[in-house]
Amino acid sequence: MTQNAAQDEFEAQVAPIWARAQAGDEEAYRDALHRIAQRLRGWLRRRMQTLPDDVEDLVQETLLAVHLQRGTWDPTLPLGAWVLAIARHKLIDLWRRRGRRDALHMPLDDVDETLMATADTEAPARRDLLQLLDELPEAQQRAIVLTKIEGLSVAEASARTGASVSAIKVQVHRGLKRLAARVRSER
Amino acid sequence: MRTDELITMLARGAGAAPRAPAAARIAPALLVGGVAALALSLSMRSAVPSLLLAEPGMLLKIGYALALAVGGGWLAARLGRPLARTAAPVRVLAATLALIVLLGSAVVALAPDGQRLAQVLGESWRTCARDVLLVSLPALAGALWALRGLAPTRPRAAGAAAGLAGGAVGAVAYAFTCPELSAAFVAVWYTLGVGAAAALGALLGPRLLHW
Repeated sequence: MTQNAAQDEFEAQVAPIWARAQAGDEEAYRDALHRIAQRLRGWLRRRMQTLPDDVEDLVQETLLAVHLQRGTWDPTLPLGAWVLAIARHKLIDLWRRRGRRDALHMPLDDVDETLMATADTEAPARRDLLQLLDELPEAQQRAIVLTKIEGLSVAEASARTGASVSAIKVQVHRGLKRLAARVRSER
Repeated sequence: MRTDELITMLARGAGAAPRAPAAARIAPALLVGGVAALALSLSMRSAVPSLLLAEPGMLLKIGYALALAVGGGWLAARLGRPLARTAAPVRVLAATLALIVLLGSAVVALAPDGQRLAQVLGESWRTCARDVLLVSLPALAGALWALRGLAPTRPRAAGAAAGLAGGAVGAVAYAFTCPELSAAFVAVWYTLGVGAAAALGALLGPRLLHW
């Protein structure tokens, strides 16, 4: 499959689901993120042949960024290219932190993606996000655990903690942002 | 945590995507920077006499800097997102630049012999670009700060756009304290000052715009 064909197929399949997700459909969001993860895995695996053990970590880091930045997507943008622009940014960042200056000149485009077919298997991540979650400030960690892991609604989490509904929302968002920053500074 | 679990976690209770209009962050930052630039300008030299404000040369100067500020702010807003589409703002900036170069060249060409250099150098060529850069620093800082809250995937270009916008905002403020009226002067020294701010932004972008 060529780069363009992979891109077109992804766009046709995922863009409609993503549009529903953006509007607030949680089920569609989960589905879209799964398909995005799959696309990322293939794309990154192809470009990280020297760092195969880091692929899944970077998939997770990119997914976190996609989630945090989903407000910057708008319907005029092709979803696949938008996702890959974020992935490319994260990949360059990883190389830079690893001091692989030469890697900045590696071709990032026009790669034959015949290996895409094997891309849907998830390898174990090396970094455990749950562990990093433990290191967040307590209010943020609590808000994330209650709403995102135990599955309480924001209102229930608010009743449980005594914090206001908007405070819970802010804590969740700030917590995820801080988590992403921790991931970045970790390597 | 497995990727599957991460996805479940991210999606749970996610709700609709928040709107993050880039302009809503950058415009106020530039505006505040502009007020600071004006205060800074007025602390360095006195405002031009109000009579001068209606002079075509004055209006051209302010108009040029304003057009650069709008184009630069637009470009920075575009570069604040992954997959930036920059063609439209770049066209506006290029057209603005072409226009001032054209007007400046015409002024020089039409000036009588012996006055051509004076049209370019004016009275204040030694300090103009430097002071434009100086007063634009608050707006430059504001624009970079605004970009930090967005998601620029081309940090150097985004930093340059922030510098250009900040520099142009500084130039607008500086214009109110600058008595030069020649388009040739503006084309050279204002452009140089704004360009220096853009270069500074390009330098700072990769260092500051991490996400």
